[in-house]
Amino acid sequence: MNSEYCLEINNSNKTFPGVKALDNANFKLKKGSIHALVGENGAGKSTLIKILTGVYKPDSGEIIINDEKINLNSPNDAILKGISVVHQERNLIGRFSVGENLMLNNLPKNSLNLIDYNEVFKQSKKWLDILDLDISPETIVSDLTVAKMQLCEIAKALSMESKILLLDEPTSSISPQDANNLFKLLKKIVSKEGVSVVFVSHKLEEVFQICDYVTVLRDGKNACESEKIETLDRKQLVKLMIGREEQVVKSKKLFENNNNKILELENINTYLGHKSINLSLYKGEILGLYGLVGAGRTELAKSIVGIEKIISGNLKLNSKSIKIHSAKEALEKYKIGYISEDRKKEGLILMHNVLDNTGITVWSQLKRFFNFLNDSTIGKKVTPYIQKLEVKTPSNYQLVSNLSGGNQQKISVAKWLAAGTDILFIDEPTVGIDVKTKGYLHELIIDLSKSGTSIVLISSDMPEMISLADRIIVMKNFIIKGEKNNDHNYQSMSSSIMEFIHD
Amino acid sequence: MNKIFSNLFKKDWFGLLIVVIFGALIISVLKPAFVSSFNLYVLMSSISLMLIVAMSQMIIIAIGQMNLSVGAIGGLVAISFAGLMEVYDMPIFIAASIGIVIGVSAGFFNGYITAKTGISAFIITLATLYVFKGINLGITEAQPFYKIPDAIRVFGNGKIIGPIPYLIIIPLIVTFVMWILMTKTIIGRYMLAYGNSIQSSELMGISSTQIVITAHVISGLLAGIAGMLVVCRLSLGTPNIGDAWLLPSFAAPVIGGAILAGGKVDVLATALAVVIVAIISQSLVIFKVDPFFVQIFLGFMILFAVLINRYREYQEENKKKIFVHE
Repeated sequence: MNSEYCLEINNSNKTFPGVKALDNANFKLKKGSIHALVGENGAGKSTLIKILTGVYKPDSGEIIINDEKINLNSPNDAILKGISVVHQERNLIGRFSVGENLMLNNLPKNSLNLIDYNEVFKQSKKWLDILDLDISPETIVSDLTVAKMQLCEIAKALSMESKILLLDEPTSSISPQDANNLFKLLKKIVSKEGVSVVFVSHKLEEVFQICDYVTVLRDGKNACESEKIETLDRKQLVKLMIGREEQVVKSKKLFENNNNKILELENINTYLGHKSINLSLYKGEILGLYGLVGAGRTELAKSIVGIEKIISGNLKLNSKSIKIHSAKEALEKYKIGYISEDRKKEGLILMHNVLDNTGITVWSQLKRFFNFLNDSTIGKKVTPYIQKLEVKTPSNYQLVSNLSGGNQQKISVAKWLAAGTDILFIDEPTVGIDVKTKGYLHELIIDLSKSGTSIVLISSDMPEMISLADRIIVMKNFIIKGEKNNDHNYQSMSSSIMEFIHD
Repeated sequence: MNKIFSNLFKKDWFGLLIVVIFGALIISVLKPAFVSSFNLYVLMSSISLMLIVAMSQMIIIAIGQMNLSVGAIGGLVAISFAGLMEVYDMPIFIAASIGIVIGVSAGFFNGYITAKTGISAFIITLATLYVFKGINLGITEAQPFYKIPDAIRVFGNGKIIGPIPYLIIIPLIVTFVMWILMTKTIIGRYMLAYGNSIQSSELMGISSTQIVITAHVISGLLAGIAGMLVVCRLSLGTPNIGDAWLLPSFAAPVIGGAILAGGKVDVLATALAVVIVAIISQSLVIFKVDPFFVQIFLGFMILFAVLINRYREYQEENKKKIFVHE
């Protein structure tokens, strides 16, 4: 039997506590094709990828490679079955040479059983040549650009005789030119080396540019399965992905532009690479910062609150120029707070209890004699916020690490509510939490803004952005591409935002 | 020719080699006693012992971990080696073999627990430090073993030719083997790959368990060999052998450009760093400087080396940042 598919995933299910990540999902990869896998954040793409690469095991369903039903128990299993992944972040050994990285799984040895580096470089050169890569195999990987590293990873996949190549958001951190090179190369390996490619991307024009087939996931289900790309147009594809244009929630109050600028950025350049950033934030406004991963939004927020450095330009608070040197100063002197997107690493101290985590931002306001703090004072101050957010915790002394992700997120928000800031940067507030908590947090953000707090909302979730923001600024490659007042009409807003990103 | 030099300057060991050569020249001009046969002999003996101790720590640094129990393993193997010869009259060869088995087992114990539990090696080896030291004191009741065969005495104190001690033979072999291991063998390269990035190396199908256990086994083996060499040198097995190894074991690899986060060690540079530390300690004695200053000096050298390493990393990071946004 010789089917036309080199990879099939049938009726696969995967449940995580509280979320059905995959719900009878199917995926069929035709030999010698480039197949797009698309869907919104949280639609189940990453779960499907992880199943394909042996990181997760599906609860049920089958994986068939070349007509053979198989189990994948580890990343190594997947490699042995000829599946290679080029992840979103680079995965080479930075201090090793390109050649050694390419051959690492199969280093050639000499008669003394030692690594034969001449042979390493010779063999790896062969694979670099197949891809027309002008990279010496002796180059140290960390000296390469990110785009070149990515191409090396593809060369590595070929060198391992992989016939199925999975690319996860391959263009998220490379330039359009590099992306075009990448596409040419992909087409070449598909036609010449008999490789089939799974292409995961948020960027629909790329999907239309190079893919033959498309599978759309929505809430863990197939919104469409292995459809020929020619049968769809962009609008239809978006509809398949979102599935609910009316999803934009009950529109928030219409924001009255009061011309009361609270924060202004004039020609800000940052150490991290932002160029000539100009923006204003009004009192009580929710300003959305939209962009793809790596657009520089988080970095901009961090530069403003003093975690990273501003090199030049003028930062004004209530029309007065200020300089913020640290997050502590931002909070205590200027009442500007930042809620991190990475709550595990930056937002919370997981090994501490609810009280300590919520109270940490107000410690300096509450400390008394000789800097002693007492729990009951802090408790009085923060408990209202913990209750307001309906944090489900047996007591204020529960360790934060024992709470669910949604409740953790509520606490990282609660601590900033307790701090009583005038300006709040909220970074990806609802990534990885369930729909209900998401709703709570949305209402909370709206309430906050109604009570006069100015909010800068960073989110990659378009529906969230369009339902919450009063004004949306689009960033790409560390510059501002455009700005639009939000009319809360999903169709028109999403297309103008996309235009800003892809002009 | 210029290119050769600029390449050489990029190597960690080249700068250290220049320091060794010029340092030795200057000191010997100021104090000719430095190059006396006796002084060179003492110098080489101390280098011999510390070379192996440094390698024992270096291989753990390569995988991005720390082994606090290097000295405790060395001490345990040392008293076992001496005790077996004194109490049971065992031949040297058999006592040494058992010593090696003990060192390897102690390393395996460290590596196995670290790999299987995922707990930081710092904590695990802090605990096993006390275990090994406790066994040591339990066996010896804090008393040294004095009855050491003459052959050991000769090996530990004799000279091959001129001022060169027999003691240096094994450390030179160990250093060479370690250099081969870290630069030319697959397991050595996998250790460095693991130290560079655990995630990347696992995605490439490298077994973390195997890497961690192997590194700790080699570390235990080397610590054991060092312990037995000290017995040869002192001609007795005292329970406090290894007690003072911890700081120097880190000093040499770090001065040699190793990054404590893992993935970068240089065997030659580590060996040269051992030589530098020994020369400094020795010349401070010759210049009749208070021995306390030796420690201060060593402390500042480590600080200096770490700053240089940090500066290089910082430059590397900056280089990457530019690429990301281009």
